[in-house]
Amino acid sequence: MGKKKMKNDRERTFALITIPIVLLFFCFNTLPLLKGVFYSFTNFKGYGSYDIVGLRNYMDLFSDSRVGNSYLFTIKYAVVCTIIVNVVSLILALGLNSKIKGKTVLRGIYFIPNILGGLVVGYIFSFFFTYILPAVGQTLGIEALSSSMLSSTKTAWFAIVLVGAWQSIAMNTIIYISGLQTVPEDVYEAGSLDGATGWRKFKNLTFPLIIPFFTINMVLCMKNFLMVFDQIMALTKGGPSQSTESISFLIYNNGIDGGQFGFQSANAVVFFVVIVAISVCQMRFMGKKEEQL
Amino acid sequence: MDRGSAVYFCVMTKSKKYYIAKQIKLTQKKHIKIYNHIRNKQKGRETEESALRTGAFFGKEAYMTSKTKVRGIAAAAIMLAAAGLAGCGSEDDGVTTIKMLQYKPEAVDAFQELETRFNESHEDIRLEIDSPNDAMKILKTQLVREDYPDIIAIGGDINYSNFLDAELLADISDFEGLSDVKEAYLKMDKELEYVPMDGVYALPYMANAAGVLYNRDIFEEHGWEIPTTWDEFISLCEEIKSEGIQPLYFGYKDVWTCLAPWNAMAVDLAPSDVCYQVNAGNTTFSENYREVAEKQKQLLDYAQNDPFAYSYNDACTAFARGEAAMYVIGSYAVPQIQSVNPDINIDSFIFPASNDPEKNILNSGNDLQFSIMNKCENKEAAYEVLRFFMEDENIQYYIDDQNAVPCKEGDFELAPMLDGMKSYIEEGKLADYQDHHYPAEMSVDAMIQTYLMDDSEDALDTFMQRFDTQWTRYNRDIIRKVQEYTEEHSGNE
Repeated sequence: MGKKKMKNDRERTFALITIPIVLLFFCFNTLPLLKGVFYSFTNFKGYGSYDIVGLRNYMDLFSDSRVGNSYLFTIKYAVVCTIIVNVVSLILALGLNSKIKGKTVLRGIYFIPNILGGLVVGYIFSFFFTYILPAVGQTLGIEALSSSMLSSTKTAWFAIVLVGAWQSIAMNTIIYISGLQTVPEDVYEAGSLDGATGWRKFKNLTFPLIIPFFTINMVLCMKNFLMVFDQIMALTKGGPSQSTESISFLIYNNGIDGGQFGFQSANAVVFFVVIVAISVCQMRFMGKKEEQL
Repeated sequence: MDRGSAVYFCVMTKSKKYYIAKQIKLTQKKHIKIYNHIRNKQKGRETEESALRTGAFFGKEAYMTSKTKVRGIAAAAIMLAAAGLAGCGSEDDGVTTIKMLQYKPEAVDAFQELETRFNESHEDIRLEIDSPNDAMKILKTQLVREDYPDIIAIGGDINYSNFLDAELLADISDFEGLSDVKEAYLKMDKELEYVPMDGVYALPYMANAAGVLYNRDIFEEHGWEIPTTWDEFISLCEEIKSEGIQPLYFGYKDVWTCLAPWNAMAVDLAPSDVCYQVNAGNTTFSENYREVAEKQKQLLDYAQNDPFAYSYNDACTAFARGEAAMYVIGSYAVPQIQSVNPDINIDSFIFPASNDPEKNILNSGNDLQFSIMNKCENKEAAYEVLRFFMEDENIQYYIDDQNAVPCKEGDFELAPMLDGMKSYIEEGKLADYQDHHYPAEMSVDAMIQTYLMDDSEDALDTFMQRFDTQWTRYNRDIIRKVQEYTEEHSGNE
């Protein structure tokens, strides 16, 4: 009898904790999403009256070269960034996890980019790319660096990759470090008896054991980079000649500023589906490779 | 909460505190909005951050981090503190409150002064002017929430057309002050209507003028003449170049600046109602804009190296430091230039894009105009506010502060950098910015930038073709409306 009552109490507590959050989540997340889906079937400008236009917005999406280019750019950006960030931060983490002097200080320093806001970093780098780098390029006589990276359609995207990667390496490094700390010492001891050193030790012992962290880093990176916004806003505003418009930037810019609320809502819905699909695929694929001790 | 905002509250005027205290009573939800607004005002550069928050609206929920929530709570705390300080301003009966939203961040101080003047001289009406940074975005989000100000002070551009089309604005044709406004500016607002409408929906207040700013000192030193035709302009550029001075400087990294030369030349070379005619199916842009595009590309020969690497600010700074003799931009850039070099001696001339001096007219548009919202409950009080703004002394105050051009007839003293344009303003030889008719989402500025960067042989054809196809795509609903109107109209005759 008493036990049953206690169980009820417990359940009530859980319910009390969960229900408000579910309600809040519904109000501020699900409802806007549903509203967005509704607006994607209209020619709503963001204000005033509107008509329901059926699937016109979705048909336009697939014939709009600007939207197509923004998808190409965003995916290219996300893939390149994810690779760079994961490789660099894994190397950094291995270094920072080994027995070296001033490890804690170094970890602190490497974490700084993550504390700075995306816009601040963007503005600083914008100055760097426009004035400092070309000046250096000109003094050293390097042709490729003597004009601003941001002014050419060929290099602007890579400048954004550099800034984006520079900033997110910090967080990923921390995740990898915590991953490396979960690998028990005795595994290495056992490995060393079998003669595992250097690359083989990493490939056969360390890496398989930190794959869960690798998965989470890949998924987080991909998702964050697909939604790139701050860096674009601060560095190029989508230019030069619309070559660096990311999907989020386009949705925001044309949806709020231009009168394409309905059309960009459709874009947002498609984008949402794309991100979900990519994340699910990544999880599935990586999940298969995880090793358990 | 950051210290900056606390300091700001201490130095705020009493009326502002009263305003905030009242807002708290109205609704708690507004706390965050007001807080953001104050923050934005304070840190002009943080525009994009507020934009991020708006961006969350679109499913970018990731940006609604816990940070934002903390800020919201902090904001609420500040608001309550402010309410305590203000001592709960009592709500006087019989006082009508008129809320105005104005969109010019550079004119915040001028508007504050006018607000104070108005409230001192009017007992029964209280004017509250809101000047958020990035006001058009704020206004549009307010409209989404159906939270309307009484008067909006915006520019005569595509936004006005859209608001009008959305039936948000009230007819003010019975406002007597309209008869004092120069005909040319009223006509510009008429042309902004997608389909001709009965009535008047905006009171033009201030205009700006675009053309070529030049450094008077450099010009006098070398004895250069002001050009009146395109050929003269080009030979002037050649001459400046041959003397080792940079003739022009562009800030094409900020795409919108690509529209400055475009507009200034288009008024000379293309008819002012070209967009309406295209919508009605009578002509195409390829037929009208070819020469403008060609000439804008030709200007690149006289620009600095790699103009696409420099922003508007960079270009203003360079011109202010005397690094270039001329700068193709509007009068609105003058305060920015003077902030770098207060002693610079600037004058201006109209852009002579045509070889027929008679065709060269001034590019001038409604930079600030008042519209009363349909939802405004006390129209007479709103008229009183407009009457106050139209008083000569207040207009002169605004002109002195902002180097603007008044839309009202009368003898006003203009800023010295408008000397070269004065005769055109007085004679009314002017035409509106053509980009006021372009939909923002079509990004004509970026299309021009793309074209200017395109070195291939058929760049011009690609650009013209793209202009026409994109136009039909982005203006589909409007074109339909215009054509329906034309059919109906011809049917009645």
